[in-house]
Amino acid sequence: MLAAGILLAGPAFLDQYWMRVVTFALMFAAMSAALNITAGFIGYPAFGDVVWFGLGAIATGTLMVKANWPFVAAVPVSVLLCTVLSALVGPSLLRLRGHYFAIGTLALNEATRALVQNLDVTGGGSGLALPITTGSVESTARFFYYLFLGAMALTVLVSLVIVRTRLGYGLRSIRANEDAAAAAGVNTTLLKTIAWTLSAALIGLTGAIYAYWISFIEPPAVFDIGISIKMFVIVLLGGVGTVFGPVIGAFGIQLLESQVWGNFLGYNLLILGGIVMVIVLFLPRGVVAFARSRARAVAALLSR
Amino acid sequence: MVYVQVLINGLLLGGLYACMAIGFSVIWGVMSIINLAHGSMIIMGAYITYWIWRDYGIDPFATIPVSGAALFCFGFFLQKYLLNRIVATSVFLSLIFTFGLDMVLTNVHLELFQADLRAVHTGYATSSLVIGSLFVPYARLAVFGTAIALTLFLMVLMNRTRIGNAIKATSFDVEAAELVGINTKQVYSITFAIGAMMAGIAGSLVATVHQFSPFGSVAFTTKSFVVVILGGLGSIPGAIAGGLVLAVAEAYTAYWQPGYAELVSFGLLLAVLVVRRRGLFGKRFYAEL
Repeated sequence: MLAAGILLAGPAFLDQYWMRVVTFALMFAAMSAALNITAGFIGYPAFGDVVWFGLGAIATGTLMVKANWPFVAAVPVSVLLCTVLSALVGPSLLRLRGHYFAIGTLALNEATRALVQNLDVTGGGSGLALPITTGSVESTARFFYYLFLGAMALTVLVSLVIVRTRLGYGLRSIRANEDAAAAAGVNTTLLKTIAWTLSAALIGLTGAIYAYWISFIEPPAVFDIGISIKMFVIVLLGGVGTVFGPVIGAFGIQLLESQVWGNFLGYNLLILGGIVMVIVLFLPRGVVAFARSRARAVAALLSR
Repeated sequence: MVYVQVLINGLLLGGLYACMAIGFSVIWGVMSIINLAHGSMIIMGAYITYWIWRDYGIDPFATIPVSGAALFCFGFFLQKYLLNRIVATSVFLSLIFTFGLDMVLTNVHLELFQADLRAVHTGYATSSLVIGSLFVPYARLAVFGTAIALTLFLMVLMNRTRIGNAIKATSFDVEAAELVGINTKQVYSITFAIGAMMAGIAGSLVATVHQFSPFGSVAFTTKSFVVVILGGLGSIPGAIAGGLVLAVAEAYTAYWQPGYAELVSFGLLLAVLVVRRRGLFGKRFYAEL
């Protein structure tokens, strides 16, 4: 509640630099929470999920630049595109497990990027310059801040609904033991495809908003596999399969990154890579679980 | 005739692809680690060759033992002290850890050698074997021969030696291997060391005939992915076949429509994954399918 209040009031007290940092954090929180639906709830490492971010961004860009659509019309159509495509490829990709699923989604992303780069309608390799928003710098910043906040809230809401319904129950049974779930009568393919499609649509939504915000997009940047990795690090830092973990992780990584970029330009890859390695080695279950186990240990000490 | 030339170019490159992918395949097949730093290890080998050639004027082929040994040690200690802690956990962790390592190595390469494209220039770089109207550059032919010879050497190592048997036993069943007295942690370290050594050697070969920079690592890693999936995980003949198929497919696509080479290689990868997950030569028991 308190955190939600602070986030809603954010633009009132943040300066321009921090508005940008927090907006990025909100964007990554939304995307990582969406990735968490596939990677956390069903335990399928959708390594190439940046493909939906890229498609959402490119679709919105293409509709706004080449067809002169307004932003409010381009976004739903882009999200619909991601939904339909993910529902189409889902059943065959989701038959793969473990590493093979990870590689399959990676290949989907790379093939899509290569295709988009070669099409003229999407601007090809030269990129798309979207129309600039009208209004002052402050009002534009506030506009996108609230858009990403809304996207994040929607994603968290969807996650909460999934966790509390039969769908979440089915997904957890798949994560625990897929063959046993199937034997017990769970329609695993259907449930996996629903979760994956929801996740793709929500990631596509952030991609669509991102395109308008950043106003110049090109395929190598929006289909960058590094974005996928960052989402995974965020999910891992926050705690895989928890609803609020990705949000905490996104703020943690984004604040850290802004400090590293600001202070160690030239060594940023070294430091960020090192942090990633340290998180994997020492916090593999995420900060939320770590804090919880610490809290329990402290409580146990005090009650003795 | 031009189609034959394209085929020759593709096949020559294919040998190098096989050598690049083989270490990746062994590490993945035996330990289920997808080593995203593989490309950076190849680049590391390439810089070792470049550095020895630039400072001491030694022929790039003669630097292969140095890059192989350096990467062997690097791989051994990396696995022994860091990767063995997370090897049995989950797909996520090894993927993300090695990606972090890739970032670190890229930054170290940038710091030591800058972002410029580097290349080794040899006296024989421009001379070719000419058959009618076909050209077979000597340097590329030598790279092809070395790559294939080393790949076959690794096959003998895996099938005919004690350590090879221990590695295979560990990859089939860790607990059974420990029961018969194999120190599986040690085997993991040696396996990663061998994989890294092959990456280093492939890097030396890359430096001999291609330009490279610290940012090339991602492309090398993704190429290794495609080759391994095409040929079949953990299979050495599969890596050779996968390398040749990928390189020839790329060469013809590049000749026909330059922009589409990547689309074809990743389309091929997706098709193999969905239709025949084992690849051309993969065996079921090497990994989860």
